Amino acid sequence: MRITPGMTAENAIYNLQLGRSAIDQLQEQIASGYNINRPSDDPLTTRQLLDLQDQIDSGEQYSSNITKAETLLNVTNTALTSMADLMQQVKKIAGDMVTGTLDASSISSAVSNLTQLKSQLVDMGNTRLGDQYVFAGYKTSQPFDAAGAFSGTTDLLSVEIAPDSNVATTVSGGDLLRGGKPPAAVGSGATAGQGPIDILGSIDALIAAITAKDSAAITDGVKNVKAGADQITVAQSDVAGRLLRLDNMKSMIVSNQNTLKTVFGDIQNVDYAKAGVMLSQQTTAFNAALSATSKLSQLSLLDYMK
Amino acid sequence: MGINTIFDIASSGITANRLAIEVTGENISNVNTEGYSRQRVIMENKPVSTANGFALGTGVEIAAVQRSYDNMLQLQLVNANSTYQESLAQQSALEQIEPTFNSLTSDGLGTAVANFFGAFQDLSVNPSGSAERQAVLTRAQIMVDSFHQMDSSLTTVASTADNNLVGITAEVTDNARNLALVNTQILATNSVGGNANELLDQRDLLLRKLSEQVGVTYSIANDGTASVTLAGGAQLVSSTRYATLYTNATGAPATNDIMISGLGNPPPANAPATDTLVGTVGDGATVGGKLGGTMEVRDSIVPKYRAMLDEMADEVVTQVNTLHAAGYALDGSTGTDFFDAAGLTSGSIALDAGLSAVKIAAGFPTATDPAPTSSGNNENALKIANLGSTSFAFSTGNATFGNFYNSLVSQVGVDTEGTQNVTTQNAAFLKQLNALRASNSEVSLDEELLNLTRYQRAFQGSAKVVNAATDMLDIVLGMVR
Repeated sequence: MRITPGMTAENAIYNLQLGRSAIDQLQEQIASGYNINRPSDDPLTTRQLLDLQDQIDSGEQYSSNITKAETLLNVTNTALTSMADLMQQVKKIAGDMVTGTLDASSISSAVSNLTQLKSQLVDMGNTRLGDQYVFAGYKTSQPFDAAGAFSGTTDLLSVEIAPDSNVATTVSGGDLLRGGKPPAAVGSGATAGQGPIDILGSIDALIAAITAKDSAAITDGVKNVKAGADQITVAQSDVAGRLLRLDNMKSMIVSNQNTLKTVFGDIQNVDYAKAGVMLSQQTTAFNAALSATSKLSQLSLLDYMK
Repeated sequence: MGINTIFDIASSGITANRLAIEVTGENISNVNTEGYSRQRVIMENKPVSTANGFALGTGVEIAAVQRSYDNMLQLQLVNANSTYQESLAQQSALEQIEPTFNSLTSDGLGTAVANFFGAFQDLSVNPSGSAERQAVLTRAQIMVDSFHQMDSSLTTVASTADNNLVGITAEVTDNARNLALVNTQILATNSVGGNANELLDQRDLLLRKLSEQVGVTYSIANDGTASVTLAGGAQLVSSTRYATLYTNATGAPATNDIMISGLGNPPPANAPATDTLVGTVGDGATVGGKLGGTMEVRDSIVPKYRAMLDEMADEVVTQVNTLHAAGYALDGSTGTDFFDAAGLTSGSIALDAGLSAVKIAAGFPTATDPAPTSSGNNENALKIANLGSTSFAFSTGNATFGNFYNSLVSQVGVDTEGTQNVTTQNAAFLKQLNALRASNSEVSLDEELLNLTRYQRAFQGSAKVVNAATDMLDIVLGMVR
């Protein structure tokens, strides 16, 4: 094949261009720290990276949901613990009334104690976090009035902690303190102590029984408040169970995130050592090409003719 | 047969070699001229005479000055130019589109959609919170803006392509006019028996330039003039006459059709109503060249991505609106749309005019809360948040919004990579053809310098013969003195 200086020049430009673009790509990778800087660098891996990023992002959303749910449940738990303590006192006073003498002073002190305890239970029932009442269901207004009437709903707010997996973040105040909405009937005789228990109603009934010195009704009341205390303990263990579930999910998400981020990093992060070696290879080749081009393009018969 | 014959032979040598040196000089001068084919002097010995009793030539004459060229290569170059420019036009458009879809280095529409549904997750934790409600509105607006932004960058690419057609057709017409002019000059040179080598080079160069802009077929007549036909069959150049290729905006929104006028020199005025249509929307692949590639960008590449974006916007609007209208807002109202129900494309998607933070329907009827006036009801917020991880039937198969968008990004990547590869291959093929053409036709200085020396020496030799003949004449004349 006949070779002309023009062809040599064209070839030199073409090959220098190839060398430059290879160096440029390496430079971009090293400077950005990413292996893939635009979808066309590797479309399929791009797809994979975006999917990984989506999973990481949704994991972050779920852990933020879990943190919020944990806060709500912890506040609920604190309120339940206080309620359980209050119920212990109610049980003790009721028990004393069964065995003790029903003289006027002990009756009035028991009645005033029980009234106080009931209103404390109501206060606990109105516990809130920010502007959210934790026992009000879907209502955002105070769920219990001073008399203990429940105006909230018995729904449980739930939060998504994983795809298609919800956890309730509240306890229904109506079910907890009134045995449902409308309140359950206060048990007497054979039905005394059978759930669900209207705790606040039972305390009212107990106060009435003590005032009336009705020993049969007091015995029923004792059974009712005992069962009511159990009802609160059950709610406590329910909340504790949910907290445990959240905790498990959270650590699962954390380990999942770690794995996803590692995979993401393995694909996307530049191996600087490798890139450095490749850059030095390319630079050497490019230097050689430059030097060869400059030497060859000077060659001409003109230099040897007089 | 006398001494004078020696003068004749020597002078023919001097003339022939002087001419050869001229041609060599012409070659050397044009070493960097685009499209120039080197010329060679073909020398022949003059008619033989037998005056001496044996046959001897009567000197040298120039039989021809030939240009070195290869018709087959020219034909391949014309085709390769069209293909290369077509893919190059597509590649540069895709490289403009790609950054818009580059979710690898910056947050794009995919993140905006994920954040929008994430905001509903946050709202589900605190359905009455005004901060959470405001966040939903903000995230929705950012998503809408992202849709608009992507739509407008696609629109820009398409309208730039459409505008470029005007310039490209003008260039085609310009080259056609020049080709008709060169054809005229070739005819004129031929009529006086001249050598039209340089004009033929120009003719071939113009043909190659034309082929870059639009797909052409050409034929060379016996008189050396070229005629050019466009891919659709319309005649662009016929010997000394040419046609105007121009654009004509039709339809709404207006897109340029490619029209061609009648032949003439100068051609008749453009008459879009009666002139021949060369290509309209969707004809890019037929038209070929830079013109065809640019049309394909406008008619198929951009619309393809826009259709996918529109499909996604449509699905988001429809799905969110359906759930939202069934839910109850903070003020107890129901049946309100979240997005404007009329905005079903990526360009027209918008929040509903009546939507405000209070109107976001987070509540949904339950057995215990049949007509949610309770601001704490989060059922509907949960349902809408759930859309973010639900698969819907898209034209590319079932996918979540995130997955669908990711596949769109990856599609843009595949297309860009593919066009880049095709363009690189075409460029390499074209480079090879150009190298072959150069090998055949391009001037080599070293070669010309050697030729120069050769002809110079021959010139000196012929001159020496004249000296010898003069000496001989002197001797003869001295004999008779």
